[in-house]
Amino acid sequence: MATRVKQEPVSPRKDSSPPPSANAASTSESEQRILSLLQSNSKGISDKDIQNEVPDPQERAKIINSLLQKGCLELFNQGEKLVYKYKNPGGSSKIKGADNEEKIVYSIIEKAGNEGVWAKDLRNASGLVQTTLSKILKKLVNEKIIKTVKCVNAPRKVVYMLYGLEPDSSVTGGAWYNDQDFESEFVDVLNQYCYHFLRQKKEAVKNCKDGPIAAQNLASASSADVWKYISELGISKVKLSVQDMETILNTLVYDGKAERTVLADGNHMYRAIESLLPPPGIVQTPCGVCPVLKQCSDIGSINPKKCVYMTEWLE
Amino acid sequence: MSVQFSKVCSLILLEHFGEIVEKVGTDLFQWGPKPLTLIASSTKLSIDKVKQSLCVLLQYGLASFAAAKNGRIAEYSLLPEKVFSLLRYPRYLYLIKTKFGVEAEMLVEEFLRSGYDSASKVILRAASRLKETRPGSEGGSNFPLLRDKFVLLVNKQFLVRCPSPSENTDGKASAVPNLTAEKTQLHLPPTLNIKSLTLLQEGETADAGDIGVYWSVNFDRFHQDFRDQIIVSSVSRRIDESASEIFRLLLQLMYIRTEPWARSSNYIPYSELRDTLRKKDPQSPILLHLEQYLKIIEADSTCFLTRVGDSGGGQFCINMYKIFEALTWTCIENIIVERFGSKAARIFRLVKARKHIEQEKIQKIAMIPAREAKQLTYRLLHENFLQLQEIRKSMANNAGPNKMFFLFHIDLEEVARMVLDFSYKALYNAMTRRAHESDENRRLIEKKQRIDSIALNMTEQGATPDQLQEIEEMMAPPEVDLLNKVKNRVQKLSEAELHLEQTIFLMQLFLSYNQQ
Repeated sequence: MATRVKQEPVSPRKDSSPPPSANAASTSESEQRILSLLQSNSKGISDKDIQNEVPDPQERAKIINSLLQKGCLELFNQGEKLVYKYKNPGGSSKIKGADNEEKIVYSIIEKAGNEGVWAKDLRNASGLVQTTLSKILKKLVNEKIIKTVKCVNAPRKVVYMLYGLEPDSSVTGGAWYNDQDFESEFVDVLNQYCYHFLRQKKEAVKNCKDGPIAAQNLASASSADVWKYISELGISKVKLSVQDMETILNTLVYDGKAERTVLADGNHMYRAIESLLPPPGIVQTPCGVCPVLKQCSDIGSINPKKCVYMTEWLE
Repeated sequence: MSVQFSKVCSLILLEHFGEIVEKVGTDLFQWGPKPLTLIASSTKLSIDKVKQSLCVLLQYGLASFAAAKNGRIAEYSLLPEKVFSLLRYPRYLYLIKTKFGVEAEMLVEEFLRSGYDSASKVILRAASRLKETRPGSEGGSNFPLLRDKFVLLVNKQFLVRCPSPSENTDGKASAVPNLTAEKTQLHLPPTLNIKSLTLLQEGETADAGDIGVYWSVNFDRFHQDFRDQIIVSSVSRRIDESASEIFRLLLQLMYIRTEPWARSSNYIPYSELRDTLRKKDPQSPILLHLEQYLKIIEADSTCFLTRVGDSGGGQFCINMYKIFEALTWTCIENIIVERFGSKAARIFRLVKARKHIEQEKIQKIAMIPAREAKQLTYRLLHENFLQLQEIRKSMANNAGPNKMFFLFHIDLEEVARMVLDFSYKALYNAMTRRAHESDENRRLIEKKQRIDSIALNMTEQGATPDQLQEIEEMMAPPEVDLLNKVKNRVQKLSEAELHLEQTIFLMQLFLSYNQQ
């Protein structure tokens, strides 16, 4: 893998000293040539290729410098050789007039895409000191070039990404998170609606005459069916995927309210079920739900004769 | 055998038989098999009293005896499960009443009262009680009916013949009688002479044809019926009535070919099931969809039924063990729902489904906010519903928590034992409280009883309504209020005891299947 090197202006070599005769027009012309060369080679071009195009070292240095400044060029270290690659200047155009350190930071953040990059990783990758880095970051944030996104997995960590990007679901936690907070109410409501949907299906086939298997099949619903129902209800502000629906349906399975069956094609079907037993006898007594049952005994202040929970229940 | 269980047993003995029997019973529970003299010395009771209590315990089948190693003295031991069965007597009677009617219930009740007895005596007693409840009917006319019911109960194995002392093979009388019963005779109904029963009722001596043959209640058979009830009702909850009807038949067919407490039944062919169903009701709508129903029962996640072969239209096997495993899971889950809320139950079911799982994954899959999920998980761990397993990444001694995996899992047997134990505790508490409530108001209750008996006497002597009114007014209105309150409380507690008993029954059943 090619490693990025510090992109500082290339200084012209000492040994080559032709007069600076080349004017701006010719420079831009040869610059265009190199640019097109860069654009046609996505894997990058070597020093030699440029040399073939622009033999004059002075001019070459000038072109490279100007390209670097425009942000159309990236330098990589591949083995011992330098490799030049074309870079879309569109993104970088935003930070016109920024200094090189800012550009480096920007490029690292840009590369991280919508997954963002942590401040610590940023420091390691850029090799900048903490104070400089924070200053740069602050500036970029203020200029609305990048933004900070709170990461859902590690509450104290903050990731940086380009301002226009939509954070990845691994960072935001997907539809269930709103600004790092897990929306448990939303999940609960969806859970209830899904259950309601499955119950409705089950109720509807109660008087089905086509035999029990047909009735059971009618009572089952795939995650796509449920997804359609929920989308039509319009209770969700966020756009949910079928996958999200399946997550919710699985919570129903873990609530013991639904059963999941696997079809031959690997899809899941869900069906509302009843618990096998009514609430057991023990929880109908105060002791069954008593928080201090462990401490209860014949002697001591917690005992069945003086138990306040029992007195309350007996009244 | 936990401390709680021993406490419950002692309390049951105390309630039914009084202090002395309780002392002997508790002593036997704690020490296991023990000869008479040792019981007397450790309980500090006189030999006579110990003998009497042992007699009581033996009569009701709550204790047993066997020859000690030297063969000369008998060692007594308590049968705690039988002691516990005392609590189930109302349930036994209710079962018999719904299945076989009032007469059968009376017969069983007489047996429960006396422990064991001969058929003729029980029938005589039941006949006289029937006469009391239905004054119009002639006492003697009940005999054939009662005898038929008796034979029915024996045939259905709700009554069983008591073992009788047998002679040793070498002809010498041994110091400790050896009780045996021949297998063929266990469920062989007696032949009773109705004529002599009538003679006996009139106070004359006659031979009813069953001298020396004693019968007692077969608790095991009752428990099988309770078990079947649980299964059938859970099938009907999960699928529907027709499916439960089919399952009832399957259970009946299972009895024909399998030991009642086997972990899974022997194979039941489809054709036989169909024929039985047809015989029962040729127009039954279930017949149409029988095959489909079987498929559904089989496909259910509870694994009620497994298809094991295709001969004879399919062979089926009832998975008793799996059913009770599933029922125990459900029961524990329900307890968690009530105690810790449905979110906790979700976590519990998740851990059950995933076998071993990390905290992080629990909150993610269960869709519960991290903090709440952590709280609930650790609460369950604290209350011993979940277990924690540490797995080290490195074997170094100084490996910190970062180098370990913490996996949650559930040990069902352990949890079931714990639930059983706290059910015993709850039962003990309810019983203690009930005794306490009536103790507190003993004076009042006794007063009420006195007044009632006076009123009864006066009515017999032909007292005027005014006089009766006067007697009733001896109880002040606040006293009447309090008395009613106490009555309600005692009743509520007794109901709670019956409910608790059902949970205990399920847990005991699961554990006994698990041990097989």
